Amino acid sequence: MKKPQDLKPDTLSLHAGQRPDKEHGARATPIYQSSSFVFEDTESAAGIFNVERTGHVYSRITNPTNAVLEERISALEGAIGSIATSSGQAALHLAIATIVDTGQHVVASNCLYGGSHNLLEYTLPRFGIETSFVDFRDLDAVKDAIKGNTRLVFGETLGNPGLDVMDIQQISDLAHDNGIPLLVDSTFTTPHLMKPINYGADLIFHSATKFLSGHGVVIGGLLVDSGNFIWDQNDNFPQLSKPYKGFHDMVFTEEFGPAAFINRARKEGARDFGACMSPHTAFLILQGVETLGLRMDRHVLATREIVNFLSQHKAVSSVSYPELESHPDHELAKKILPNGCGAVFTFELKGGKKAGQNFIENLNIFSHLANVGDSKSLVIHPSSTTHHRMDEDALKKAGISEGTVRLSVGLEDIEDLKDDLDTGLRSALKTS
Amino acid sequence: MHIFSGTRGLQGDTNPIVFIHGTGMDHTVWTLFARYFLRHGRDVISVDLPGHGKSKGPLLDSIESLSSNLLNYLDSRNINKFSVVGHSMGSLIALEAASTQPERVNSLVMIGTALPMAVSDALLDLAKRNDPGAIDILTFMGYSNNARIGNNKNPGMWMTEGTRRLMQRSSKDVIFKDLMACSNYVDGLEKAKNVSANTLLILGENDYLTPRHRAKDLINNFKSVRVKEIKNSGHTLMVENPNLVLDYLSEIL
Repeated sequence: MKKPQDLKPDTLSLHAGQRPDKEHGARATPIYQSSSFVFEDTESAAGIFNVERTGHVYSRITNPTNAVLEERISALEGAIGSIATSSGQAALHLAIATIVDTGQHVVASNCLYGGSHNLLEYTLPRFGIETSFVDFRDLDAVKDAIKGNTRLVFGETLGNPGLDVMDIQQISDLAHDNGIPLLVDSTFTTPHLMKPINYGADLIFHSATKFLSGHGVVIGGLLVDSGNFIWDQNDNFPQLSKPYKGFHDMVFTEEFGPAAFINRARKEGARDFGACMSPHTAFLILQGVETLGLRMDRHVLATREIVNFLSQHKAVSSVSYPELESHPDHELAKKILPNGCGAVFTFELKGGKKAGQNFIENLNIFSHLANVGDSKSLVIHPSSTTHHRMDEDALKKAGISEGTVRLSVGLEDIEDLKDDLDTGLRSALKTS
Repeated sequence: MHIFSGTRGLQGDTNPIVFIHGTGMDHTVWTLFARYFLRHGRDVISVDLPGHGKSKGPLLDSIESLSSNLLNYLDSRNINKFSVVGHSMGSLIALEAASTQPERVNSLVMIGTALPMAVSDALLDLAKRNDPGAIDILTFMGYSNNARIGNNKNPGMWMTEGTRRLMQRSSKDVIFKDLMACSNYVDGLEKAKNVSANTLLILGENDYLTPRHRAKDLINNFKSVRVKEIKNSGHTLMVENPNLVLDYLSEIL
């Protein structure tokens, strides 16, 4: 029997979640810039509020433009549903706050984006949620870190900034053996390079500000639910498996089955925390998602050339990119990231901090700023910026030194980028 | 048998509504509709068929035995009369119940249905081997071309993956036994003649699993029947067009 052919990612990037507008025939997704939506009548209003009818009420909870983005990312990830949030940080917070309570615990990779590290290390303890940071390459350490009150394991597909490749299958197996889910930050890889759900991730989040958008004009996030985790397999998640007073004693696992998590996150987290995405932002992210495959392929192509260029440059002591045999996760990357390891990587300059400063200050095309995943090429010095709150020991564990420079390779002409880097590197050499 | 009856439970409604899911599904496919009738004071019995969802086995492999099991359960709850709504395989179970005990069934609603409900040998073979390809085919054919692109009425949810995930939760052999039950139910057309309940069929214009033209003989065999066809929709009507399905249900129930 012929295998059914689901739509391919490049088609989904352009179409998923949207049909031409029935009122005016608009082919592009309209921006429904409206805080609220008129009910047909009092009965249907009551029906929507009571989750009998589908429809939009208030844009903090759902919005038709946001819904297209949510559906499109769900389609690309092979997930059952998503929630668009005001930022990637908001998506991470929504994931944690939905299933982790005071007195409970998270096991996280020690190679996280600085913002995620801040939330887990400094802010969530104020609310009684503690995190153990572990080297995810050390599976025994991950196993040992999981305690009776651990409710979530969390890491990044490609750790920041050393590009540690997470062995999602192994880590998810460990989490599942302990009856808890795995949350994965897939910002650096996007569904074009890897679908974490295929390797056992239960929840995913994206900073949509980065590659999903590509244009660098908005801040946004997405929380994605695979629908795979069985939330009532144990008593770890009463938020989902026991009556919720905040919604007429609804038991989410009983009423929504595989969609329990995403429904609770929307009906509680989106409603009460309110970190929603603007419909205009959703529209702009959709413009980026339309060309995701094309852009990611070009990002990877350019990155490979630049990695090769830097590897041979006399001002550079080392380059960290998983496609290089010297990277500790090279074999794993070949297996789970065959289409490329993204466009963000680090390298070490000879000459330390001063060389780093000279390098950055003499670049003309690469922009010095705290972001990645833009179509424009970007550069930053992590130890003095994104990771400046980490002490020396934590920096070392995250693979960051004073000479570490992070690049996010954009879509400019590759020769222009190499020339620009060469100019910076020559200045750095003069320092050393 | 595990049932969903809301937080209010059963309160002695003289015409409770029994919802029966289809192949590899469970009671959660009826959540929106169950919530509507519960709010309007009706008793709802949304079942997990044996071996499905939270109901324990053993799996039953004929529509007749599934119907008989359901009727026995209703007896055990002292429910004499009821209305029944079924989707796909569930619609056949509903028909069987309304045919064998017509005096007990006030209204019968069959959604996404056809008779005979033939299943190809190739699909049965995949299901027999518990090959995930069977779920892929059922998911793919369970939706209209339109729905495969999305634009879900339920914001932010990707329809096909939701259905796939529910079926993936099925225990071993569930899909095969369900499909066999559908395929072997050959007396349904005759049984339709015994039905005395108010009967409604809700069909999808682009249903590839149970194409609407295959419901023609069934329609002709009922003494009286209403038919609602939903445009641009496939087999999984409760997901593709939930509000319209609810409108039709609320008219007859």
